[in-house]
Amino acid sequence: MTKPGVPLRLDGISKSFGGTLVLEPLDLDIKEGEMLALLGPSGCGKTTTLRIIAGFETPDTGSIVIGGRDVTELPPNKRSLGMVFQNYSLFPHMSVGENVAFGLKMRGSNAADRTRQSRAMLEMVRLAQYEDHAVHQLSGGQQQRVALARALATSPAILLLDEPLGALDKNLRERMQFELREIQRKLNITSILVTHDQEEALTMSDRIAVMRRGAVVQVGHPTDVYDRPRTRFVSEFLGTANVFTGTVAQAGDAGAWIVTLDAQPHAQGKTFAPEPLAVGRRVTLAVRPERLVIVPPRDGVIRAMVKDLVFRGSYFAYELVADGHDQPIFLYSQTRQILAEDGRVGLTWAPESAVVLGDEA
Amino acid sequence: MTRARHRRRPGVPTILLYAYMALFLVFIVAPIAAVVAVSFSSSSYIVFPIPGFSWRWYWRIVEYRPFISSLIVSIELALGSALAGACLGVPAALSLARSRHAAAGLLSNLLLAPISVPAIVLGFALLYYLSALSFGITFLSLFIAHTVAAIPYIVRTVLATYRALSPNLEESAAILGATRWQTLRHVTLPLVRPGVFAGALFAVLTSLDNLPLSFFFGSANTNTLPVVMLSYMENQFDPSIAAISTVQMLIAIAALFILDRLYGIERLTAV
Amino acid sequence: MPPPVPRRGLRPYRLAGPSWCLPVVFFLAVFFVVPLAANLLRSAPAGEAGGVLFYYEKLLTDGYYVGILLETLKVALVATLASLVVGYPVAYFMVRHAGRWNGVIVFFVVVPLLTSIIMRTFGWRVLLSRRGLLNAGLLDWGLITRPTDIAETSIAVYIGLVHVLVPFMVLSISSVLQGVDVRLEETARVLGAGRLRTFLHVTLPLSVDGIVTGCILVFVVTNGSFLTMLLLGGGKINTLALLIYQQFVTTQDVGFAAAMGNVLMLVAALCFGMQYWLLRRTGIRR
Repeated sequence: MTKPGVPLRLDGISKSFGGTLVLEPLDLDIKEGEMLALLGPSGCGKTTTLRIIAGFETPDTGSIVIGGRDVTELPPNKRSLGMVFQNYSLFPHMSVGENVAFGLKMRGSNAADRTRQSRAMLEMVRLAQYEDHAVHQLSGGQQQRVALARALATSPAILLLDEPLGALDKNLRERMQFELREIQRKLNITSILVTHDQEEALTMSDRIAVMRRGAVVQVGHPTDVYDRPRTRFVSEFLGTANVFTGTVAQAGDAGAWIVTLDAQPHAQGKTFAPEPLAVGRRVTLAVRPERLVIVPPRDGVIRAMVKDLVFRGSYFAYELVADGHDQPIFLYSQTRQILAEDGRVGLTWAPESAVVLGDEA
Repeated sequence: MTRARHRRRPGVPTILLYAYMALFLVFIVAPIAAVVAVSFSSSSYIVFPIPGFSWRWYWRIVEYRPFISSLIVSIELALGSALAGACLGVPAALSLARSRHAAAGLLSNLLLAPISVPAIVLGFALLYYLSALSFGITFLSLFIAHTVAAIPYIVRTVLATYRALSPNLEESAAILGATRWQTLRHVTLPLVRPGVFAGALFAVLTSLDNLPLSFFFGSANTNTLPVVMLSYMENQFDPSIAAISTVQMLIAIAALFILDRLYGIERLTAV
Repeated sequence: MPPPVPRRGLRPYRLAGPSWCLPVVFFLAVFFVVPLAANLLRSAPAGEAGGVLFYYEKLLTDGYYVGILLETLKVALVATLASLVVGYPVAYFMVRHAGRWNGVIVFFVVVPLLTSIIMRTFGWRVLLSRRGLLNAGLLDWGLITRPTDIAETSIAVYIGLVHVLVPFMVLSISSVLQGVDVRLEETARVLGAGRLRTFLHVTLPLSVDGIVTGCILVFVVTNGSFLTMLLLGGGKINTLALLIYQQFVTTQDVGFAAAMGNVLMLVAALCFGMQYWLLRRTGIRR
């Protein structure tokens, strides 16, 4: 049974703490049933945004609109929200079942209904047999699932997740990412996920809003944000990026543009661009390590030398140095490359693998 | 903490330390044991070791009315002032614990200040002040004085306990739909209860033994046990002091024991 | 696009508002601050022959009273040092060696707090007086021929004081000592330091915080105590607190007693100020 989701809209939300502007006026439109990730480094304002939505902080300007209803002036307990914290925040003095039923109890549900509903929730996270256990008897992952069950027991309109998987170890985290996503999809509940882990954002969300210093820098579908980062910051925050500066030389075939890279005199890289580029214009290109291709030195756009090779389990990571380019260049490959004795290679890429970066805000 | 599988023979310093500890424990227990022993003495002089066994001093306690009546006053006073101190101190501690306001630190210091003032000075000052306000030498005055003394103990432990709690717990409650009062009742107070109990325990024990404070408010029906004991000692020096002391100690131990049975002292006071 | 709606006067979400402090602040203002202030005034009466600071002058110039002030400080210092020397090894044992027995030891250290000071002081009287245990033992073993009244000596007062104070000292030190990582000591031993040097150069400095707290606490408590001096020592030790008690019982000289009380308070305030300053300087946050 899929209930209709509830849309969430943030209009011009801004916040200052003691004179410093922490959030610039922010507009976000989250569609019903969507999972939006707020992704960014610490201090970017993502947690502040979440807490404002929750009602623990008051915005200086703007409105929070849930399903068409302006809730900005309402206290947290009247906003019909569910929230999961990084440290689970289960009530230590209550059993697992009492934790899950807490929200229902606060809303005046009678005991029979509460038990029924909380059992159903625990079934959903596959912890029904722990109903009478004390909270501390459960493992970290189990506690987080209880926290999720508790948040969803009251059928909230919006689910807020504040770095929910940060306290779990890697393997558990990956499993929980899928589980959480599954439950969110099944219930079709509009959700906001705050995280600094770009893999998590890429795995779990329908859209990612990348934040930096109190502003949203880019919003879009994960593949969009990853393949077509708008600024250098986004390209480097989501995955690794090789960044080259250069000048537009001429228009090439099939809509590609040829850019003369600053690094080396004969380096001519190709790229697509959303709008026509003016010849002579200075541009910054980003190419993902997995899109670089090793070719014989004279066939490559850039000539480089292999400096290091690391096996990362699912791929090989090459670190290269190129004359004229002061940053190391990274290349990821599923298979081991056959290299010349001296380690010299040429690097090239297809025009659709490069992105023209905008200027930093 | 892992223990080494093999144990080296303890060196001389360690042996000395163990011996010292044994002596120390004897030192701590000796006077208390002596008093208990003397309470069963058959002699009316304070002689130790006691010449013979007798219950007479315990009967004496019952005879000499002021002992029992002042014990009851002391107990009522201790429990009452701890309760009043909690009612006054707990809300303030909750309010101040997480405040970043400049005045919060100042106010906390005010609430903790009565501990730092020597009891004799406080008692003295309060006596004259309350008399001027025509509170006189009554149980109420005594009660006020002991409440003032109880507040810091409770505020101190509640501050520590509450600060150790994650704010996310109350935030979770709020998001789940609890009003402020519901959060307080179902989440905050139960979790802060160990701090309240630990502080109240200290307050009760201090109040029972607080001579300097109660001394100034002595009258026929407002004397506390320490005051009565002191004046008895200055007039008639006999083992009934030992008997009433032993009774007081047993009551305190019994109360602690019962509390432990009911709630578990560790759980109650685990700050 | 319309400009964002300014939100003024939105109350932030708080569980316990500032108004929750009002009852206790009012209570303490009326029954704590004002009485002590009145006490201050009472000790400096205007119109009294000799001027406003008459009582204080008397306290600080009259030989008898100066002697009592010095005696008070001396007693407090000696008692504090004695408690430190007696108590530190106990705290050390509790934290480093006790293991399973830790709870039992804590119980024994704390159990005196369940008994009244009168009981404990009386107990020392019983043990140390002419017909007490100590004399009986010494006589039996032939060490002395006539019973001595140790209970009437100054030593008895110090014994009684230390007995009452040591639990405070032990608890202060042990709580800080617990935070000293035993691996630091082990490292020192591995590096070649003997037990004594390890203790002097590693353990002791790291527990200074607890020592300072314990000493100041004990010092202030000693200053304010008079029961021990009253019941033991045969009147040989006369301190300020005892004097206040006697003043009240005998002469009822309110102003003078108030002045003495204020001096006592001043000493206490100075001590806590020193503690605050010392702890900040060592850079150890409480």
